[in-house]
Amino acid sequence: MSVTLKQTALQSAAPQWQARWLALPLAFAVLAGLAPMLSDYALEIGFRILLLVTLAEAWNLLAGYGGLVSLGTAAFFGIGAYALTGLVNKLGAPLAVALPLAGVCSALLALAVSRAVFRLRGLYFTVGTLALAEATRLFMINYNGFGGATGLFLSQDPPGLRALYLIALGLLAFTTAVMTVATRSRFSILLRAVRDDEDAAAQIGVRPFRIKLIVFVLASFLMGVAGALQGLKLGAIEPYGMFGIQWTVNVLSIVIIGGQGLRAGPLVGAIFVVGLSELLADYPAVHLALTGVILIIVIRFAPQGLVGLVQAWLAVKAQEAS
Amino acid sequence: MPNLEVVANSLLSGFLLGGVLALTALGLSIALGVMRLVNLAHGELLVGGAYLGYYLLRYTGIDPIAGLLLVGMAMAVLALPFQRLLIAPLVGKGMEAPMITMFGVSVILQNLYLLAFSADTRAIDTPYAASAVHLGPITVPEIYLIGFAVSVLLVVGVHLLVSRTAFGRELRASSYDADAAAAMGVDVKRVHALTFALGAACAAMGGVLLGTAFSFTPGSGGTYLLISFAVVVLGGIGNIFGTLVAGIALGLLQSLGAVVFGDGYRDLVGLVLFLLALALRPQGITGSGAR
Repeated sequence: MSVTLKQTALQSAAPQWQARWLALPLAFAVLAGLAPMLSDYALEIGFRILLLVTLAEAWNLLAGYGGLVSLGTAAFFGIGAYALTGLVNKLGAPLAVALPLAGVCSALLALAVSRAVFRLRGLYFTVGTLALAEATRLFMINYNGFGGATGLFLSQDPPGLRALYLIALGLLAFTTAVMTVATRSRFSILLRAVRDDEDAAAQIGVRPFRIKLIVFVLASFLMGVAGALQGLKLGAIEPYGMFGIQWTVNVLSIVIIGGQGLRAGPLVGAIFVVGLSELLADYPAVHLALTGVILIIVIRFAPQGLVGLVQAWLAVKAQEAS
Repeated sequence: MPNLEVVANSLLSGFLLGGVLALTALGLSIALGVMRLVNLAHGELLVGGAYLGYYLLRYTGIDPIAGLLLVGMAMAVLALPFQRLLIAPLVGKGMEAPMITMFGVSVILQNLYLLAFSADTRAIDTPYAASAVHLGPITVPEIYLIGFAVSVLLVVGVHLLVSRTAFGRELRASSYDADAAAAMGVDVKRVHALTFALGAACAAMGGVLLGTAFSFTPGSGGTYLLISFAVVVLGGIGNIFGTLVAGIALGLLQSLGAVVFGDGYRDLVGLVLFLLALALRPQGITGSGAR
């Protein structure tokens, strides 16, 4: 879409790529090994960061790499939570089955609305996904079949905080693997081609609709599993929280503050946003308003986010050194 | 099945409210058409207008509908620095940066309203807000009739402004081809600033009317933004006549939905129609849509 997104495409060199093969699994192993030692507060914060990084990775895949700026995160997140509760309560599905299936439900929703949101380009996807999030929220509030405005209770006790932390870590590991494939393979080239110029991509035989659909479905699946995990943690779900705009706002600001289309962006952004929300935990309205201010400042003065700023600074340093 | 009178009542109400929807959508439509700006803070500007009307009545006693143009002008003046500080510097950086910036503005305004005015549900309380007009067997609230008449007048006024005045000519030129317009001596920056102010004024005036007919909270803006967007897409971007027709059509269909499914489904029906319109007829109901 915009010029600011286009660079960074082929920046990373091959040796870094090999180092990452080792560094990433090592980092995940360390985080998993830490679990028995962490306090409840640390596990709580850790779970939140892991969940938000997962959502942000999925959103980054859509917006940063695919040029599809979505404001519908809450829809897929909420559907995942509701699907998990339904699968566990009605069918007695074990978690190992219910969590991925909840993601599949969100992916199916993405498939169902793809015709509408991809029909026109760019901004219509954004507004269409925003409408979808609002529509699913209003439906869940008004329709009594899924607990209506009061919501539903999970019929079994949620797993302990430590187990939830480990599941969230597993989900992020899976997401990271998906992102690695999606941003390093032949597919990533097709995706960037569609993002940067849909018509030119179509001219050389890429099918833009199919490429966009794949990332949309994939990202929605990940958002659905994340929502399911949040629903599992709470043990009770209601439409105002699960379909709340704050999920959309948080995820979008994490990626934009961290750095759109950059691999480290979601992690840096999530730590920043969670840190801010902890500082202002007693003032939710102030927190959201301040997030809006930061968002506007970052878009104006640092379109590549915090990670982009650091990269630019390192590049200057390197130039000075040589 | 509800009886015929109830259906007739609600269809007429929907028709009349549709006129107000057209006014609010017009604000969104001209910003989109002229500035290519997706104003995601449109709903908050609308709610801001409702608060302006509410406090105008409360502290000065000026009837907000008599003072409608006053509210519109106040919002236009308030909106100008937004455009100048936030939108103008992002010209030439694609559509996404201004859109997300306005999303940020929307989040900020919503929470500022919450801090300043609390989460209380409010309504602009005028004598005609509650009284009803009887047209044979049909009864509609007086405010719906007033809202419709005022909205249609304002929509026609904006149409005349765009089609008959020198400013309108510059506005149309900037919309069609900003570079060519600039080369011909049009001050495109000024046109964009005034367009944004005009859009904000439309939103605020619609907000006063909606805030009198219904109640509102700091968070009411999101739904109005989307309903306005539905009207814009149905009517065709920048098509003023199409916007009026689409507003009325959406108002009718929403009321029909409320009769069939229950009142809580009113807005949901509007959103589903919007998604259907995107899927089936993105060029709008009145034809080409594009200008």
